[in-house]
Amino acid sequence: MRRWVRFVPSAQRGLTKRFGGTTAVDGLTVDIAPGRVTGFLGPNGAGKSTTMRMVLGLDRPTAGEALVDGRPYRALRHPLHEVGALLDATGVHPARSGRAHLRAMARSNGIPLRRVDEVLGLAGLDGRAADKLGRSLSLGMAQRLGIAGALLGDPPVLLFDEPVNGLDPDGVRWIRGLTRTLAGEGRTVLVSSHLMSEMQQTADQLLVIGRGRLIADAPVAELIAASASAAVLVRGPQPVALAALGERLAAEGATVTPHGADGLTVAGAAAERVGDLAYELGVRLHELTPVTGSLEQAFMELTADSVEYAGGAVGSEAR
Amino acid sequence: MTTPRTVAPARPASRPVPAGGPFTGAVAAEWTKLWSVRSTWWTLLAGVLVMAATAGQLAIYAANANTDDDPANNPGVVTVGSIVIGSLDLTQYAVLALGLLTVTSEYATGTIRTTLRCTPSRGRMLLAKAVVVAVVTFLFGLLLGGVGALVAGPVLGGWGRVPVAGTLGDALAAAVYLALVAVLALGLTAALRGAVLTLTVLLAALMIVPLSLQEPRITVLTRIADAFPGVAGAHFMAGDTDPYPAAAGVLLLAGWTVAALALGRAALRRRDA
Repeated sequence: MRRWVRFVPSAQRGLTKRFGGTTAVDGLTVDIAPGRVTGFLGPNGAGKSTTMRMVLGLDRPTAGEALVDGRPYRALRHPLHEVGALLDATGVHPARSGRAHLRAMARSNGIPLRRVDEVLGLAGLDGRAADKLGRSLSLGMAQRLGIAGALLGDPPVLLFDEPVNGLDPDGVRWIRGLTRTLAGEGRTVLVSSHLMSEMQQTADQLLVIGRGRLIADAPVAELIAASASAAVLVRGPQPVALAALGERLAAEGATVTPHGADGLTVAGAAAERVGDLAYELGVRLHELTPVTGSLEQAFMELTADSVEYAGGAVGSEAR
Repeated sequence: MTTPRTVAPARPASRPVPAGGPFTGAVAAEWTKLWSVRSTWWTLLAGVLVMAATAGQLAIYAANANTDDDPANNPGVVTVGSIVIGSLDLTQYAVLALGLLTVTSEYATGTIRTTLRCTPSRGRMLLAKAVVVAVVTFLFGLLLGGVGALVAGPVLGGWGRVPVAGTLGDALAAAVYLALVAVLALGLTAALRGAVLTLTVLLAALMIVPLSLQEPRITVLTRIADAFPGVAGAHFMAGDTDPYPAAAGVLLLAGWTVAALALGRAALRRRDA
């Protein structure tokens, strides 16, 4: 257990950032613990990047404070030794080589220059890639360079904003391994993503935000179990009989929703009970499938109310 | 909400302790950044070319004025130092572009976010840039003085003088002036952020406004113009005693530079990067 990141409320209100009339981050109050990967999940425009930028002292909070190990980022003398970060915009000058970029960073924080070659190696960038100018880096290489920069000071706190963006499958696997390793070493690792499947594979803890508000702060397993689990999909060729089955199940307290032309989704009843009841009522079934909740589903339900750019009506019975 | 409020343990032995203070580091980083992009070299080259061309042109004018048919305007024998200083009216823009670029290029490319993550103190970051820009433009100013003298001397021929101490003094004054103006540009750019706006304000403050104020018959306006940074610098370099001593001129210019830096720092602290 080494360092932690806190978003501290001021006057009972959490970390808040307003841009003109829009509230990007709205009253976040949370602690991010060391030794595990914390996933920072939310739809595009939910306020993830703004939150990270406030932790890094780039944006000034409208209210509240983001603290790293009890101190605001702007008060850190050698911040690269405390916090490493990969932002979505990598921040490399198009006419500067990746190596020179890292050297400038290293010099600014009194890091020996041999560490530059070390982190280039850690990030899987060979000498040729490191000598390329910023403008000729592919998105994947730029991401790797950003990660190399984050690791420069061997910091106990790491913030990765959408790290898998632009990476090939090898790179994605590498990021997963890296975040797990870093957390395993006792560091605080916060990884943002709008990809729930990605979080399911790497995160231990999840912070879910929508429209700048904290929707959930819970272990991944708990989030999956809590919502949308124990549903059963039933299909059959007799619409009338199937409807009767649905009514019986609803009467027993289950939530029944139509699924396609010939099916029902039943939440709140076990598959055994649904099968027994169908037998009892003489309903012919073609399918009886227990549906386990996925994080994707949990996420959709959690953020259904807060999607910035909703494509249409989304069911939101979980909230 | 989980709340593991652990106290951070001492830094493990494997992690390197930062060498040097944060300000030294910031200066070193700015130095590395300046010399790792080619545009710096292009800017310097442009400065040398503008100085050579302007000094050559002014030297031709001076020589011609002495030999043409108009007896009313004969500058007589001039020093190459005065040609060098006269050439700065134009050459200074190539030099202050260096101060300008250190900020605008960071905002244009997003590297400002990297810079501020490395050096989160806005004042420290700006001061580090100021130190690097001041040192580089001062040394470059000395070089420009040499270039101007080397071009002007042969062109002037018999109409030119090259007193060693005087020429060195002029080059030194030019270098001090250029360093102060470049840092002024740096501070102003940090405050205004955009290259076009900053350049417009600089052109107005260094040239257009004081030039239009300097009406020979209206003393009040001339006195106001004397307070402007460019005019103060000119009085300093010319070694004037009127309207104020040369030392007051350089102090006035330095005051403008410090004010621009303070303005830039205030803007950086308030603004989201």
